[in-house]
Amino acid sequence: MSKAAALRPGPPSLPEWVRRLPEYLMIWVPLLLSAAHLVSFSLWTIWISFTPSTLVPVTGWVGLRNYSAVAASRNWQIAFDNLLLFGCAFVVLSAATGLILAILLDQRIRGENVLRSIFLYPLAVSFVVTGTVWSWLLNPGLGIQKLVHDLGWTTFRFDWLIDRDMAIWTIVIAAIWQSSGFAMALFLAGLRSVDADIIKAAQIDGAGPVRIYRRIILPSLWPITITVVVIQLQFAISTFDLVRALTNGGPGIATQLPALVVYDLMFQRSLLGRGAAAAVLMLLILLAVLLPYAAWRYIQRRRAAHA
Amino acid sequence: MPITTTRRRLLAGSVATLALPAFARAQGAVKPRLTAISQWSAGSDGAAITALGKKFEEKGGVWQHSPVPGFTTEMMNKLRAQIMAGDPPACSQLKGPEIAAWSKIAPTVDLDALVAAAGYEKVVAPDLAKLHKPGGKWIALPLQIYSTNMLFLSKRAMDKAKADKIPVTWADFNDLAEKMKSGGVPFPVANGGTRPDDGQKFEAALASISPLAYRAAIMNLEKKALEGPEIKAAFAQVRKIADWMDPNVGAQHFSTNLKRFVDGDMGMMIMGGWAQGVLRNAGFKFEDFTIAPGPSDNGKPVFLLNADAFIFWQRKEADLQAGQTLMAQLVMDPAIQTMYSQITGSIPVRTDVDLSGEGWSEGQRTTAKALKDAIASNQAVLSMAHNMAQENGMTAAMIDVITEYVKNKSIKPEQAATRLAEAIEGAR
Repeated sequence: MSKAAALRPGPPSLPEWVRRLPEYLMIWVPLLLSAAHLVSFSLWTIWISFTPSTLVPVTGWVGLRNYSAVAASRNWQIAFDNLLLFGCAFVVLSAATGLILAILLDQRIRGENVLRSIFLYPLAVSFVVTGTVWSWLLNPGLGIQKLVHDLGWTTFRFDWLIDRDMAIWTIVIAAIWQSSGFAMALFLAGLRSVDADIIKAAQIDGAGPVRIYRRIILPSLWPITITVVVIQLQFAISTFDLVRALTNGGPGIATQLPALVVYDLMFQRSLLGRGAAAAVLMLLILLAVLLPYAAWRYIQRRRAAHA
Repeated sequence: MPITTTRRRLLAGSVATLALPAFARAQGAVKPRLTAISQWSAGSDGAAITALGKKFEEKGGVWQHSPVPGFTTEMMNKLRAQIMAGDPPACSQLKGPEIAAWSKIAPTVDLDALVAAAGYEKVVAPDLAKLHKPGGKWIALPLQIYSTNMLFLSKRAMDKAKADKIPVTWADFNDLAEKMKSGGVPFPVANGGTRPDDGQKFEAALASISPLAYRAAIMNLEKKALEGPEIKAAFAQVRKIADWMDPNVGAQHFSTNLKRFVDGDMGMMIMGGWAQGVLRNAGFKFEDFTIAPGPSDNGKPVFLLNADAFIFWQRKEADLQAGQTLMAQLVMDPAIQTMYSQITGSIPVRTDVDLSGEGWSEGQRTTAKALKDAIASNQAVLSMAHNMAQENGMTAAMIDVITEYVKNKSIKPEQAATRLAEAIEGAR
């Protein structure tokens, strides 16, 4: 500590706050700007959601009418059900895929760097590209089904893209392909940070690899799992471009998601008030995920401080 | 030395005298300038508006067109942003009831004097004219017309079905589809999977089962008509059409499948007149397909009208105002409308343009004749799927129901009719 103080540059006569001014400017200005930006537009949207705005924002008060209209619309109901299904399936499956990939990569195999890059690579592709490519792959007349038919298995069916009940799963597939690499990277870092001495001790005690994973490694991955789940969930709630490119909400309106409904109301139907109401509902769903996470983090930190 | 100075002065003086008339002219009448936005950036649409711009420049104007590619709604987002910033374009693309809606949020130009001078009102279909003069004054000018329910028949599919008669009613249409199916055409109806595509199937069915019911239910939103038997009959016909379509197209654009249509794998296509331009652009020949008015149960053509138009936004700048006057004169000019329609494959708004000459196709002549006959029998109605009958919000609510019905075969026509009425009630 004293060594660090001695190394600190600048004449010691300057007051503390002047010396630290660059740091303050670096941190607080962007932070305040982005907070003001975020908060002011959120408040603006909330205000619009209570006005009778259609083509352009107008003043006026309609109470909760926009909210009840959105909540009563078929589009929103379908979007909400889809969000529940898509959110759960996507988060669980992408975390599971990521974990399995990470465990397999953790076996000190050759070419690990190459494989890791390959699995991470989809993350570098934009969602629009992912959606478009998968819309071709999954199209029964062009993609996988046609390939298998051409190979001779003509009774093979894989037409989820045009099946109303299964279409939402095509979005799950594409989203998992895109982001399980990300989960893998986080899990891999977690696996590597497990204390090697504990594992060695377990090996000396005669524990097999399965047992070591079950009893020692996986339990220590809890904090990372929570992080993965929360990051993937907020991604799931705001999914827009992927669906737009893959199914555009179809067949019919079977794969609507909240973000799609917001865009549709605001910019295609020119119903700014209702669009804003839908956006606020989305914000509430996000808060329902993020607030418990923040609370959990807070409790964890307090526990750590007291321990 | 003094002599040179005098010469120089003399020279300068004479140059000034020569330049004076030009200067005076520039003061009296500014050079017309037009700022315009539209979605027409590529293909025949882009070519047509570029040609219009050339004509504008030939008349001494400055043409400043900024296209916003993509759907019409994306152009509207730019328009909205410009209006809210207090800087609307002098002129923008806009059509149907949106003209009335948007004219409430920013001042528009009163074009009555220009329209009267051109004698334009007499040569425009009355239903169409009404859309462009909300509040009784002309503020927008229609540019070109398409019918959204033309029937395109694949020559090769007709050969497979051993048929040569063009279907007139839905019963004929259904017979022909069956014949095609048994003659080896896998999908008797060619289709895309977009929302307007599904909407077009429904409007074509309802308007030609009963133009009166279409007018009452879809254009005027009358409750009684919405509960009438014609709506259910229209949904039932849509189900038949849907059963003959290729479900694999997903959300593709209709143009993706034009090759299969020409090859005879798909037989009949209910599409707007613009498909002719798309087919021709894709390199197919007039021999490959036939164009006819869409089916009509009373035998007389039903015309589902779709018209592109320009709306003029008030500007204070003298050069922009001069540009608006020049643009309005050009848009109403029969020669300009001829040039425009010949590029895009539409038909002119003016009913007095002669289409017998060179440069017009058989399909365009058929369309123009269908429009004339339909107006005469009061069977020219405004297209719902292409936002001519209702504002965007209402249209979208209707298409929600229709597109779900097309893709979900477990919904009964009666259920769909109830849902349509409910959706309309919810969007009011």
